[in-house]
Amino acid sequence: MSSRKDITNYCIEAMLKAGIQKAQCTLSDKSKDEFNVDGGEISLLRTTNDTSLYMMGIIDDKRGSVSINKTDKESIDKAVKEVYDLAESSEADSANDISELQPSKVFQKGPAESDLNLMYDRITAFLAYSLETYPSLILEQAILDFVSKKSYFRNSNGVYFESSRGIYNFSPMFTSKEGAEISSFNYSGFSSGNLDRELHEYGSIDTLMKQSTEQISTKEISGKFTGEIIITPDCIEDFLSHITSFLSDYPLISGTSIYKDSLNELIADPQLTLHSKPVSDEIADGYFFTPDGYEARNSTIIENGVLKTFLLGLYGAKKTGKPKAVNSGDSYVIDAGKYSFEEMVSSVEKGILMCRFSGGNPSDSGDFSGVCKNSYYIENGEILYPVRETMISGNLGELLKNIRRISRERIDFGSEILPWIQVGGITISGK
Amino acid sequence: MIPKVLCGYSNLFTEYTELRVQENRSVNIAVVNGDVMGNSRSSSSGVSARTYSNGVWGFSSDPEINDENIRKVIAFATRNAKFLGSRENKGGKSLPVTLGNSIRDYSTAKDRKSQKDLIDFVREIDSRIMQDFKEITSRTVALGLLDMEKSLLTSDGSSAYSMTPKSIMYISMSTERDGQLIELFDIYGGLGQFEDVFTTPDMLFEQMDEYYGHLRRKAEGIYPDAGIKECIFDADLAGILAHEAIGHTTEADSVRGGSIAGDYLNQEVASPLVTMVDFANSAYGKPCPIPVFIDDEGTEAKDVVLIDEGVLKRFMHNKETSIQFDDEPTGNARAYRFNDEPIIRMRNTAILPGKSKLEDMIASVQDGYYLMKPSNGQADSTSEFMFGIIQGYEIKNGKLGRAIRDTTISGIAFDMLKTVTAISDEMKWTCAGMCGKKQPIPVGMGGPAIKCRVNIGGR
Repeated sequence: MSSRKDITNYCIEAMLKAGIQKAQCTLSDKSKDEFNVDGGEISLLRTTNDTSLYMMGIIDDKRGSVSINKTDKESIDKAVKEVYDLAESSEADSANDISELQPSKVFQKGPAESDLNLMYDRITAFLAYSLETYPSLILEQAILDFVSKKSYFRNSNGVYFESSRGIYNFSPMFTSKEGAEISSFNYSGFSSGNLDRELHEYGSIDTLMKQSTEQISTKEISGKFTGEIIITPDCIEDFLSHITSFLSDYPLISGTSIYKDSLNELIADPQLTLHSKPVSDEIADGYFFTPDGYEARNSTIIENGVLKTFLLGLYGAKKTGKPKAVNSGDSYVIDAGKYSFEEMVSSVEKGILMCRFSGGNPSDSGDFSGVCKNSYYIENGEILYPVRETMISGNLGELLKNIRRISRERIDFGSEILPWIQVGGITISGK
Repeated sequence: MIPKVLCGYSNLFTEYTELRVQENRSVNIAVVNGDVMGNSRSSSSGVSARTYSNGVWGFSSDPEINDENIRKVIAFATRNAKFLGSRENKGGKSLPVTLGNSIRDYSTAKDRKSQKDLIDFVREIDSRIMQDFKEITSRTVALGLLDMEKSLLTSDGSSAYSMTPKSIMYISMSTERDGQLIELFDIYGGLGQFEDVFTTPDMLFEQMDEYYGHLRRKAEGIYPDAGIKECIFDADLAGILAHEAIGHTTEADSVRGGSIAGDYLNQEVASPLVTMVDFANSAYGKPCPIPVFIDDEGTEAKDVVLIDEGVLKRFMHNKETSIQFDDEPTGNARAYRFNDEPIIRMRNTAILPGKSKLEDMIASVQDGYYLMKPSNGQADSTSEFMFGIIQGYEIKNGKLGRAIRDTTISGIAFDMLKTVTAISDEMKWTCAGMCGKKQPIPVGMGGPAIKCRVNIGGR
């Protein structure tokens, strides 16, 4: 086995030889260079290499899978035997399958290697900027890394994909403090194929750092009322992950998804169009093929409020009889709306600019509640002050239908591109 | 698989160095509505080294464990520390020398079960639900097993070998009322390999019957009234409160990052009834769910009394923060995978039991709630917390009333703990979840029931 491609070939042949009828494997090599900041100081340079070899086999519709991080023949042979034993131990399910033949492809995106000197220069410049511009801000932790990942997918139907990815990621977490008063912590981040700009210029990092210093002093709001919230791009991700999870395999198979019967139906205000764009040039991050062996394509999940696709993989699609998605989600892009952020704020009579949400997992029916963190009170069209101990509650299904406005401005996080979204009908309660 | 002795490599250490070889092994089985949806095993092993030089750290790892790679990761970690050290030029103080030696192996002595045995066990639980719990519309039974096996050598001379397994069974059931799905989950298991934790499926049946009863009552339940209410937190909730809302604020790296607890040392932060400890490995003569004897910096793990009768007494440390805070390392430096560096983590965090009886505590509440199970929880550097509540009952005139539907509680932990007026005399541990802080890691959480006032979110 002289190459990684040969190893995937060996895995498939060994599984077939062992008596497995349908076989699939994914080999990934990942290396990472990572600078860590702790308590405002650079503390660690970490270099890691890892391998992941995933093998899945099906015998008479029974499936088993094994994942190891070794690629020597002895380890692979042992894992092949385990895959066989696991599949034999399982129970038949006709939804178990592997992807059908597609043209072999090789994909490449991003730089092959990190520039350690540039990474060091960028993070030291970020520390200096932070110290000078926001002296009350404490960088509890910041991580700047470069991840290089090479992946090889093969199955016994003849599918073969290969991809090489290189990407920089930055994620700072910070709190602001003056005397004994402190803000809630906050965090943001971005992914990028280069480090052409200073780190604070990416995504919403500088905005959130500035807000953090404002949030040292907060006020309670009193009473309980139904109002509007403007959800920031950083905070939308908290809701998006729950909404898209309702479209995925497990809740649809178990029948617990609120959207199980909603394909091609209006599930959101017509202003909302949501895409998953893993292979778009708009997205710095992304992926080229799905874990179950299909070349990934971009898709529109919600178009003008109408649900256009679930996020079902091959198993979920066969299990539910619903159409398979053309990707495995993520890389979300929400189309820009027609309102400026200022117009949105000025239209709010009473509500919250919600910058972070600390909430319980929504119930199966979509009910949610939680605390508004790093957020501001809005009254008569003006952002008045940062709030504390303020809760909101609502229902995810209703939240999408109660969208009032979507902003023209959007934040490009590298992994997602998201606007501000204004929603009505939310229960807001102070202390 | 994992070499128990790494001593042959100590001559390669030119700076303060930790050398660790580790393997994590897991088994996951999931049966959803009777179908085996998950049936997998995984293992991840490798070698890593971390080196401290001139006030900064270098780290390197590789998945292949052999003589050449062990030498290579030591050299790369040293190179990384020197690269950073030469640029930062901090001239940091030397780390405290800690010496410890330990061999702890929690492997079962019984014959190991095959994957088929494990699937059959899960299927039997699933069959029981299908046969006896008639109102269930959706069900999931999942088994998750994790073995963490590691060997450590440090330039201080510490050496340790440990094999720490945990075995967790997760059961989720949903029922329908008026077109709405009502869900509840329960968790079973703890420290040990499957054979030592689970004997036969019927050992779970009694607890499952109780759980089904709670779900049926929840389906008929009400949403709680929003506002500040007198509540009894059951042990599961007291445990997550101790971990999330207080524990994280008292990790020394969080304190360094601005946590509110930094200003409260030696101050009264809770009712004098409250004493809270991060146990290293055993409590009240029994092993904790996640026993740690030597941490991943080679420090002997000791119990840390965080709050003593209401007064904040101490933070949790690694070697580096112990210098910054003029304290001693406490053995809280832990790493999850072979390629993770040790960071400050809790081990087994608990509020200690008091003298009250749970039934007396409930009887003392005129209008409030008995909150039993959290779904998830988050907390802040300010100690503001939020926990999802999936199981509980209203209390009216000292008696349990109707069950409540899903809700959320929130508050400032250091304020809320001052409202504690009773703590029960029973202690319960859980270790199902993984704590997230750069890396995931298994932790134990424990506690008695506590009576306090808290903000409940209503619907």
